[in-house]
Order: sequence, then C-alpha cells, then structure tokens
Amino acid sequence: MPKIIIDGNEIEFKQGQTIIEAAKDHGIEIPHFCWHPKLSVSGNCRMCLVEVEKMPKLVIACATVASEGMVVHTQSPKTIAARNAVMEFLLINHPLDCPICDEAGECKLQDYAYQHSIGESRFVEEKVHKDKRVKIGPRVMFDAERCISCSRCIRFCDEIAKDSELTFTRRGDRVTITTFPGEELDNPYSMNVVDICPVGALTNADFRFKARVWDMSHTNSICIGCSRGCNIEIWVRNNEILRLTPRHNEDVNSYWMCDHGRLNTFKFVNSETRVNSPHIRKEGQLIRVSWDEAFAEAASRLRTFGKDQIAVIGSAYATCEDNYLVSKFAKNILGTGNLDFIRHIDYSFADDILRKEDLTPNSLGAELMGVKPLKNGLNVEEIIKSIKEGKIKALYLIEDDILTADPEIETYLAKLELLIVHAANFNQSTNFADIVFPAATYAEKNGTFINFQGRLQRIRPAVATIEVDRALEGMALSRLDKFGTKFDRWAQGKHFDARATWKILTSLSNAFGSRWKYKMAEDVFDEMVSSIPELKGLNYDIIGDLGVQLKLEKVNVV
Amino acid sequence: MEKIVLPDIKDFHKLEVYLQHGGYSAAKKAFGQSSDDIIDQVKRSGLRGRGGAAFLTGLKWSFMPKTTDKPKYLCVNGDESEPGSFKDRQIFEYNPHQLIEGIIITCYAIGAKVAYIYIRGEYHKWIKLMQKALDDAYAAGYVGEKMKEKFGTDFYCDIYIHKGAGAYICGEESALMNSIEGKRGYPRVKPPFPAQNGLWGCPTTINNVETITNVPPIINKGWEWFASIGEPKHPGTILFGVSGHVNKPGVYELPSGTLLTDIIYNYAGGVPGNKKILCVIPGGSSMPPLRGDQIEGVKMDAESLKAAGSAIGTGGIMVMDEDTDLVKVLARIAHFYHHESCGQCTPCREGTGWLEKILKRLIAGKGSVSDLDLLITVANQIEGNTICALGEAAAWPVKFMVERFRDYFEQRVSKEISLPVANKVHSMRHTAIPVEEIKH
Ligand SMILES: Cc1cc2nc3c(=O)[nH]c(=O)nc-3n(C[C@H](O)[C@H](O)[C@H](O)COP(=O)(O)O)c2cc1C
Ligand code: SF4
Ligand code: SF4
Ligand code: SF4
Ligand code: FES
Repeated sequence: MPKIIIDGNEIEFKQGQTIIEAAKDHGIEIPHFCWHPKLSVSGNCRMCLVEVEKMPKLVIACATVASEGMVVHTQSPKTIAARNAVMEFLLINHPLDCPICDEAGECKLQDYAYQHSIGESRFVEEKVHKDKRVKIGPRVMFDAERCISCSRCIRFCDEIAKDSELTFTRRGDRVTITTFPGEELDNPYSMNVVDICPVGALTNADFRFKARVWDMSHTNSICIGCSRGCNIEIWVRNNEILRLTPRHNEDVNSYWMCDHGRLNTFKFVNSETRVNSPHIRKEGQLIRVSWDEAFAEAASRLRTFGKDQIAVIGSAYATCEDNYLVSKFAKNILGTGNLDFIRHIDYSFADDILRKEDLTPNSLGAELMGVKPLKNGLNVEEIIKSIKEGKIKALYLIEDDILTADPEIETYLAKLELLIVHAANFNQSTNFADIVFPAATYAEKNGTFINFQGRLQRIRPAVATIEVDRALEGMALSRLDKFGTKFDRWAQGKHFDARATWKILTSLSNAFGSRWKYKMAEDVFDEMVSSIPELKGLNYDIIGDLGVQLKLEKVNVV
Repeated sequence: MEKIVLPDIKDFHKLEVYLQHGGYSAAKKAFGQSSDDIIDQVKRSGLRGRGGAAFLTGLKWSFMPKTTDKPKYLCVNGDESEPGSFKDRQIFEYNPHQLIEGIIITCYAIGAKVAYIYIRGEYHKWIKLMQKALDDAYAAGYVGEKMKEKFGTDFYCDIYIHKGAGAYICGEESALMNSIEGKRGYPRVKPPFPAQNGLWGCPTTINNVETITNVPPIINKGWEWFASIGEPKHPGTILFGVSGHVNKPGVYELPSGTLLTDIIYNYAGGVPGNKKILCVIPGGSSMPPLRGDQIEGVKMDAESLKAAGSAIGTGGIMVMDEDTDLVKVLARIAHFYHHESCGQCTPCREGTGWLEKILKRLIAGKGSVSDLDLLITVANQIEGNTICALGEAAAWPVKFMVERFRDYFEQRVSKEISLPVANKVHSMRHTAIPVEEIKH
C-alpha cells in the first residue's frame, strides 16, 4: 500500500483517499467543520488547511488526494497560524450565545475554539446581525447568526434525504441559509441536519432548551420505529428521556435516523399512561397489586384452562430474550401451541433510504425465538377467529395491542374468560385485561433485536425502573450523576415499577412450580445461544455496540 | 504602431467592413491545418491570458484531453467587473467579429463544439452589440452548422451569449461555469481543473475576451510576427484602460512593455493641474498599488511589473494624484471586495467585512496606528487560505497600500493630514452605434 507521512508518522492510505480520510483511518483527526465522511466535499470552512511539503500554499486536507511520499504537517507553525486565523474569522461575527445555546457542550466551534485558537479577539467592530429563531421546518429551528456557512445541511438534503429544500442566499458575510420558495425543511430525515450542523444554528425544536448536553447521560441503543433498527443514543436527565440521536453504524443506518424514529419512539417511556406496578381487575376496575399477588393470581387462573383454550401472543416490539421465554412459557408451562405475534406492516412508511415497512424492531427475532404456531397450533388470524368463536378462552398478550390486528375483536374481548397483558402503557387491550403486568420499555432493559437484514443488535437500559440496579446493569452516567449527592440525577426523576417481559415470565413460571434461574437478560441469551444454532458462539460482548450479522434462512419477514 | 485588437478602421464592427479587411480568412487558414498545429502556433507566439493571471494561452489549450467521449467547451470571459477594468467592452463594441473568429479558431483547436461568451449583466448595451454581430455571423455562415459549407470543412461550432446577473465573482472561471450551469456563482475547489472537469463536468477552456481576439492575427500573420511585438516574455499589444486623475482617460492599445509613465503622461495626457502622482494601481483594483515614486522606469508587462512589486492584472491603470485620500480609496476598494465576496469560504467571507469595517473606522477618525498592523494581519490571514483568488484580490490592495504608504497612513490616523474631497473622474464614453439603431 502507498504511504504518506503525517507529522512524522508514516501511514498507509488507499488509492484515491484524501489526506483527511487517510488520517482518520489511522486515528488522526485533522480539524474540520464542513467535511463529513458521508457528504460531498465542499472545501469551504478552510479549517483543515495543512502544510504539505513541496506545495506552494497550504492545502485543504479534505479535498487533497493523498499521493505516495506526501509529507503532511498538521502541527507546523504555518498550519497552526492558518487554523487560528480561520477560528478568529469564524468567531468575529459569531453571537457567542453559548450560555443559551443547545449545542453548547457538543459544538465543534466551542471545542475548536478551546483547542485551536488564541483565546482572544481583536475584533472591535459591530457584528453582522442576522435572523434568529427561524422556524425553518416543523421540527427544526434556525439561528442564522450561529451559522458558519459550512453547507453540510444543504448537502445533506440534496445528497442523503434527496429532497433539495435548503440553499444559501445573499453573499459575503451576509450569506445565510434558507428554504427554496414554497419549501419547508420537512423531509422525513430533516432532523439529521441538527446532528451534522457543527454549531447551534440548527436545533431540534422538540429538544430546544430542555437540557444542557453535559447534564445528560447517553446510552447506546436501537430505534424501535421500524425493522431497520437504526443505531441510536438515548439521552437522559433526571431519569427522563429528552432526545434520541443516531449513532454511526455503516452497516445499518450510517450516521442517520428518520424523524419519526427520533421523535415518536421515546415519549411513551415517561408518559402519564405508563402502567406502574401490576394491576388486577377487581369489580370491573384495574387495581394496583403487589407482584406476588399478581403472579399467584395469574398462575392459578391460567391453570384452570385446557391447553387448547389458551393462546399466547408474543411481540415483535419485545426483545429476543423476552420472546425466547414467551415461547418457552407457552410450550413448557402452558403447553399450548397456539403461539404467534402480530405483524405491523405499513408499505406507505417505507422508502429507499432507511425506513422499512415493518414497524417493529424485532419480527425476525420473534420468529427465530420460536414465537410461531406449533404443529396444529393457531396463528394470529386463527387465534382471533377462535376468540370470536369462543374456542379460545384465555389469551396471554405480550407487549402489543390486539385491536391493531383486528379492530372488530373489541366486541369479543369481553367474551374471554382471562386476558393477561404485558404492557408498558395502558392501551385498548388493557381496557379488557384481567391482569396487567407492567412491562419495562426498550429503554429500561438489556436485550437484543434482529433487524430486517438479520443483524443481531443490543439494547441497554438508559432509564432506571424501581428494580433496576444501575451499577449492576452498568448504566451510563452523566457528568453530574454523583451517587448520593444532591446532583444525583437518578434519584430525582420518576421511577416506574416495571419489569422486562423475560423477568415477569421467569417469576410467573416459578409460580407454576418450575425453577427458571435467569437473573439477567444475559442469562437468557446464554441459553438461547446453546439452543438456537444461528446464535452459536455469540455473547453480549461479541455483539458489542454495532451488532453482528446472523446467517438466517429468511431475512425479510415481509 | 500597428493595432491588433482595436484597429483604427472605421466601422470595423460591421461584418462587411471586417470581411473587406481579410475577416474570417484566419479561420479558413486554421481549418486547413491540424488542431495540434494551431495550438502549437499559439504556444510559440507566447500569447498570455489577458484576464488577469497572464497564463500562457497555448499551454492552457494543450491541457484539454485529446481523447474523451465527453463534449468539450470554450468559455469566453467577458464578465469584466474588476474596478479599473473596461477594455473588453471596447472589443464587443469595435471588433466583435475578430472575437467571433478567434472563438471558432479556438473551438477548432481544442475540439469544442460549443462556446459561451459570458458578459456581465450591466453591459446591456454591449450585450446587444455583441448579439448583433453574432447574429450577422450566423446569418453569413461563419458560425453554426453553415460553417461546413462556408469553410468547406467538417468542423462547425455554436456560440451562445450568456448574460451575467451582476456578480463580480462570476468572472472567476469556475464560478462562471457554475453560473452558466444555472447554479449559484460559487467558485469550485481546484483541482479538478476545468480542462478535466469544467462546464457540466466536461473538459473546458476559459479565456478572456481580449486573449481570444488576439488569435486570428496570430494565425494570419504567423507566431513569429506576434512574438516579436513588445516584451519577448509577454508579447503582443495590451489594452490598457487608464482611469483616475489623468486628462485623457480611456483604453489604449500599446505594445507590452510600454513604460507606465509613457502611458500616463503621453497617451493619457498627464495629471490634471500637473499635480504629483501619489499612487498608481497598474492592473485593476486587486493588484498591489505602487507609490508615485515607484513608477519611474516601470514597464507594463507581466514580468516587469512583478519585478516592480505589482502585477499586470487586466491592465487597468488607476492613477491617483497627491490630493487623493488613500484611506477612502482603500475603504472603497475594501467595500467592493466585501460586497462581492461570494461568502463561501471563511477567510474571505469574514475577513473582507472586517477589513472594510476597520477602514471605515479609520475614515471616521476612530482608528489608531495599531489598526494598521491589524489590517495587514487580517489581509495576511486571508491571503493564500481561500478557495479562489478573490481572497488575494481583497488582501493585496490592503496589505500593499498600508505597507507602501505606512507613513501616510500613520499621519492620517493621527489626523495630521487634512484632505480635500477627491476629484471625481468619469471614464464612461459614448458608444460607436446608438443602441436604438441595432435591429434584430
Ligand atoms: C474574483 C475573480 C474575478 C475575475 N474576473 C474576471 C473577469 O471579469 N474577466 C476575465 O477575463 N477574467 C477574470 N478572472 C480570471 C479568470 O478566473 C480566468 O483566469 C481568466 O478568465 C482566464 O483567461 P485568460 O487565461 O485568457 O487570462 C477573475 C478571477 C477572479 C479570481
Ligand atoms: S446551518 Fe449549520 S449545517 Fe447548515 S450551513 Fe449553517 S452551520 Fe452549516
Ligand atoms: S428508519 Fe426505522 S429504525 Fe431508523 S430511525 Fe426511522 S423508524 Fe427508527
Ligand atoms: S475566496 Fe471569497 S469569493 Fe472566493 S470562494 Fe472564498 S468567499 Fe467566495
Ligand atoms: S473541512 Fe476542509 S475545508 Fe472544511
């Protein structure tokens, strides 16, 4: 492989790579604003200017293709002078409203000002004033004074979202971005511009002024909005999710996620409609009860039905671990083969960027875990039919709403003699339930999902429930999370009394007299590995942050 | 002295007159030779670009790929927006057919089938004049498909006039191409250079109007003849646009290497009131200014001016007499580049405004000597760090003016000199043909 020398270190590069790319591959970051690995090169910020021997002027590392023997200096006096110059220029007209800017703490301009500038300004003139607080789209706010005209947002719309909504207008230091006449920044991926905007010019309208970045913890997870399973980070303060951001995974979602996933998949976690502790219907009302009472009641009532009178519906919203135990519970404890899960397919949601028609994160996982009818067992449609016919008398429903599968079922649910539901939030199905177990959400537990490609990915607890031990679960902490101090953010927020489905089923099975010993999701996973050939050799560490591709016969459930 | 670009022939802009004087015979001659031969002759003639950088024209043409499945283009740069520069419009007005003939020869040489003449939007009049000449040339078969018949060749090309929308930056060659493509006039990051990746991603050559107008005589009279005119390293004649404090402002076609003082005192009639010269900008507002006491013996060609500490640029000579307020001049120049910066890259976008603001403050009497150092550092921080040469265009006048007139500027910020209002000199002239008479 050809080599270049950066600051005295010889590094290999791939033919055609630019200096900035070659450096990045070797862990050397050349400061940059406008360059983004997934966008075309615009070369406008000039932050990446470097000295290259034998070249008359400094060159921009983002646009200069590496060539054999090139000698690059990223720390030479000339390079540093140019970088300081760019920083000074960027700051002269910048409003410096860091104290009230959402970007503060994760702002490239702040970071570089700290790392690469002389720390003082010689500018004593009046700054250029521009529009502030512009609603540039339904989900994004724009502050023109903070904009450094890097064009990342414009290029994102053109090249990734493939919906050219943004452009520059005016000239010189009056330049600003705007939408084309009659357009709004409202493409289904519009909020990614907030992430890639190096400064606080574009902000998330939903998250605006909710928290300082350093006050939040962030936890690697997976979006549950569709079967793409975009890799995300969950941002939490005071035990409340405040925002989701995409996490880079080149095999799944690159640097992006869709606005639906970003906005519509976390608010239920802290919602008023959460089921908090188990409930049993008494005299027509769902009444809060203890876990033990709920387990005893569920076990004793389930025992009264014949195998053919019971059906179990697992969930493509729940993890593999949950579904594995759903399957095991149905087969081994209840002895029924009437087992399936509900599909949530919406072709109008799909596009050729990220979004998939399957609106759940784990259909492939539910299938692989054996959540499907056994021989002579009933599938979802048949279960519903049998409920209507009165043949199925007891339904065990996991983390889903059966009315979404068939709205007509509403009138028949009352006919059921027993409806047990695991639910994070009260829904139409819990209205008819006899026993409701409060399910922990994807943001409150460990586990795995299998996306539409057959990729196994991990989720982790980001929000604490009453029973989650945040030390044991290795939960992320923010800068202010000091155990036991007044800054202990975890002690402040609301904690729900909810448990992961796998855990609920473990306790319930034991109420049936079995001896399930799973203490952690990982214990369930270890058993899955030994019984499901596709998972052979895997563990949570191997899955890691980016997941592993499984070899499945069938990859797209739809 | 023989004039090559603006000959003293009455009604030369008319096709019949142009033809009477051998018009379009150079094209006929060129089409009988190989395109490589033409490039070779232009190379040997030593013709250098008249658009500012004085780049060797034949060499530029030779960068065009010989084998490519993409179409090739020629862009003729008539954006002429540099303050102090007003020579290309004389060609549009007085010698449009020689430009057209130069274009078809150039297209033949580089293998282009389409050429664009990009003319600044403010030149309404000259756009009409040029369009009229082009229409006549088309009608007579000197441009377009009818060329095949007229010249008895397989080769033909089309020429379009593209009107600019009022931005200096669109004279920068890559911004010009974006502008033709209907995009924002943003200069492109180079490399890739236009010969590889130009207009619509295809190989493209960009030349100035005056450069191209020199081509037919080179073909007709031979490269040796051209190479022998003026300074050997920058041969030919140059159109010098003289403005400012001179008695006879205007465009003078003179051999390269003519003394700057000759141009000012003999051709342009000297300084009104016989005042002393304080400052001369020899090549358009973006070139380094010379002190009045630096101009003696300076020859007007690229190499000599470089040696004298400036550059030939577009040959726009701006003369300022001893009563000129140089701070105001510099503030006005800085205002221009601030106004015209496209705003794409950081140093120019932010730096040009800063320069203007400092200078405005100096005019208002709120400056100090340390501001002079600041002006120079800001200019240095722009220079060499930008996408296009507008960065230098904005930095050089400031840097060199302040450096070369340091004593003057120091006294000025200390309010030790008081100045009368600068003279206002208008260099607009009347056109040869009243525009109303042009029929389409
Ligand atoms: C800001 C800027 C403005 C320019 N304006 C013009 C112009 O108006 N006309 C022109 O011929 N060249 C202009 N140029 C130079 C062109 O980029 C290009 O070098 C020139 O047209 C090449 O022609 P030549 O080789 O015949 O000189 C400008 C360059 C810059 C950086
Ligand atoms: S809004 Fe942000 S991303 Fe867009 S150009 Fe400005 S700084 Fe760059
Ligand atoms: S594409 Fe699917 S997985 Fe990705 S963010 Fe959107 S809803 Fe979530
Ligand atoms: S140097 Fe100035 S004019 Fe040229 S690209 Fe940069 S901002 Fe635009
Ligand atoms: S990162 Fe290279 S110019 Fe912006």
